[in-house]
Amino acid sequence: MTGSIVVGYTATDAGADALALGTRLARATGAALRVVIVLPSEGTMSKAVAPERAYEELLREQARTWLADAAKTIPAGLVHSAHVRFAESFGEGLQAAADEFGATLLVLGAANGGALRRHRLGSVASELLHASTVPVALAPAGLSREPDAGLPRITVATGTRPGAELLLESAVRLASASGAAVRLVSLMPLDVPAGLNTGAITLLKDAHVDQVLASARDRLSGETDVEVLQAGGDSIVDWLPGEIVLVGSSRLAQPRRLFLGSTAAKMLRELPVPMIVVPRTRAEGA
Amino acid sequence: MSESTKSPLSTAAHAAAPGDAVPGTADPVTGGISRKGLSVGTVGVLGALVMGISCIAPAYTYTAGIGGAVGAVGFQVPAILLLGFIPMLLVAFGYRELNKAMPDSGTSFTWATRAFGPYVGWMAGWGLIVATILVLSNLAGIAVDFLFLLISQISGNEAIAEITRNPFVNVAVCLIFVALATWVSYRDVSTSQKLQYGLVAFQIAILVLFAVMAIVETVQGGAFEAHMPEFAWFNPLEIKGGLSMIVMGLSASVFMFWGWDVTLTMNEEAKDPERTPGRAAMLTVISIIAIYLLLTVSSLMYSGIGDKGLGLTNEEIGGNVFFALSGPVMGGLAFLLSLAVLTSSASSLQSTFISPARTLLAMGHYGAVPKRFAGVSPRFFTPGFATIASAVVAGGFYAVMRFLSEDALWDTILALGMMICFYYGITALSCVWYFRHQWFDSGKDFFFKFASPLVGGIILLVLFVITAIDSLAPDYGSIAIGADENGEGGIGIVFFIGVGLLVFGGVLMLVQRFVSPDFFRGKTLSMDAPPSLRQH
Repeated sequence: MTGSIVVGYTATDAGADALALGTRLARATGAALRVVIVLPSEGTMSKAVAPERAYEELLREQARTWLADAAKTIPAGLVHSAHVRFAESFGEGLQAAADEFGATLLVLGAANGGALRRHRLGSVASELLHASTVPVALAPAGLSREPDAGLPRITVATGTRPGAELLLESAVRLASASGAAVRLVSLMPLDVPAGLNTGAITLLKDAHVDQVLASARDRLSGETDVEVLQAGGDSIVDWLPGEIVLVGSSRLAQPRRLFLGSTAAKMLRELPVPMIVVPRTRAEGA
Repeated sequence: MSESTKSPLSTAAHAAAPGDAVPGTADPVTGGISRKGLSVGTVGVLGALVMGISCIAPAYTYTAGIGGAVGAVGFQVPAILLLGFIPMLLVAFGYRELNKAMPDSGTSFTWATRAFGPYVGWMAGWGLIVATILVLSNLAGIAVDFLFLLISQISGNEAIAEITRNPFVNVAVCLIFVALATWVSYRDVSTSQKLQYGLVAFQIAILVLFAVMAIVETVQGGAFEAHMPEFAWFNPLEIKGGLSMIVMGLSASVFMFWGWDVTLTMNEEAKDPERTPGRAAMLTVISIIAIYLLLTVSSLMYSGIGDKGLGLTNEEIGGNVFFALSGPVMGGLAFLLSLAVLTSSASSLQSTFISPARTLLAMGHYGAVPKRFAGVSPRFFTPGFATIASAVVAGGFYAVMRFLSEDALWDTILALGMMICFYYGITALSCVWYFRHQWFDSGKDFFFKFASPLVGGIILLVLFVITAIDSLAPDYGSIAIGADENGEGGIGIVFFIGVGLLVFGGVLMLVQRFVSPDFFRGKTLSMDAPPSLRQH
């Protein structure tokens, strides 16, 4: 994977997790790492506070110090740079940075207060997941304290909804850039309306699932090592150290109510591994 | 942007895109002030006007300050307001020049240090911090009164308004308010422009409604002590009681205009730095003066200046006039006024909190106070430690004062006026001295960098000195410390708050000088005077 990975950094634990994930992915794929701090324009988000350029300058200086400290944790051999950007909101600033650097991936940490090794979507992540044209990687809390095990395998959670094509494409690109194995998991059962119990869900598995997985396997085989697995209910499978999950955002791009209420969201919240959300529509010019 | 425009990145040290290079090590703090990479400003005339009115918070300022002004000069309050505006205007010109030449979050602290050196600079910064902390505690105290008043007006149970007189409940609720304001400031909670515009419009509308109702009732004979307005109310020469009274009135007036200069000092932040700040400042001043004159005239007409009942010199109501007048004047609509004062206090709390926090941050940055104060929250990008420190001191101060005296609000305002005169005065003279090589560059320079700030600064410092001396008297302020058994003698509490806090600041300064002398040796922030720009 060429291009660059933009890390939405803050000098917090969540920021360290994001940087750790960005570093792993950059190492695995050979992409350049762009560590970005987004600061509020004129030093404040609030319109009730008088804008002050001098404070903005002070923040910029402080952010540089943070970035310099963060750079010390990036292992030697990686191509990386650090940038301070100002924007009306963190999400907007990251989006702009992604465009500016032609990013192939945006990396974020979990919102503060997330349980260890779990995802908790903050407002920024939610905003980006609904708007980003670039895949967004989410680092679970505590990732920075785990050893870097490389990228041994990518699990692709696929379904039949629109977007699966692009998801598989991204998986192929990531796999061929990193040499990771690919594992396909069917999210078919999880596409049924929320509220159905898992007993009913398992019954819904039909020939269509097999068809989807088969075609996906055909697309991937020859390039990578593919394994197919059907998710049947709550317990999703085992994870290798360093493994990453790829999901399409079609279901996620629904109104947040649906997003958080669905079985898929439940699964995502339970994920102990980093997750990359791939947008449904292709980014222009990508 | 394509990859090729980015600098190739080395492995050991990392480069960055042009304009935002990140050095391998943090920039050392240098003697000068950096200003680069500025983007286009965003504030228009209307935005600046709203910001100015919101910062002054006329509903709050009027209820807190007018009693003091009437107590000093009686019916000539409109005159003293107009008079008090003059030094504020002159000083604001100096502010604008300093802010143009050295935009810095430390404002008065930084400017006075650059002009007069570390000791004067430190004290100017301290004066600013004390003044803003005093006003924070006062704002929260006023908000508590109006919270209970609002509840009682809505529920129809008058006893609820009296709960605020219970010091324990009062202090507890006040601390909750301060905590909320701290939370909002610390997290930089985003407030939309629409909300701010709405609050300001509501505030102005209700104040006008109050004034109109007071006038109508006076004319209809329903006033507490009816008076018809006279020209003498606007004539400062009619003020009786001598210099001390004029000074006291001016002090209250200075407090009431404090903060309007925020519009004038927006330079780079404005869409059109040449014109926006001037127009916005002019509009703000005209609106504020108009609203104050309308309010003072109408409340004088309605209440008179007696010291009983609703009379404006009654010390019981002097620290919070609307609290007493809203019910009698507005009847069933009184809750609107309570709401206006509450929202006005609340919305100015956030902007007010920024001042001490950012000044402390700058002082920490330059080593004038311990480095911890320079800490910026990595999540919210606010001066985290300085914000919390300011809140703790403001809350603690209010608690102590409230238990010492029930009229704490009133004492705070008197001390606050003194403190504003102190640091504004020093700042104005800093402008004069800093630009000493440019006085005669042009007529404009002479006026804005020399004459205006010099006159304004001297007036404010004279006010400060006279107030400090007067406040020694036992009857200045609500109680005297050290009075004998009969309540005679002693020293007024306002002296202890005002001068006492300055002396305390001086002690802290010497401690810091001993512990960490770099700032005081001029190593972190040097003295300077820009050369004349005239072609020789």
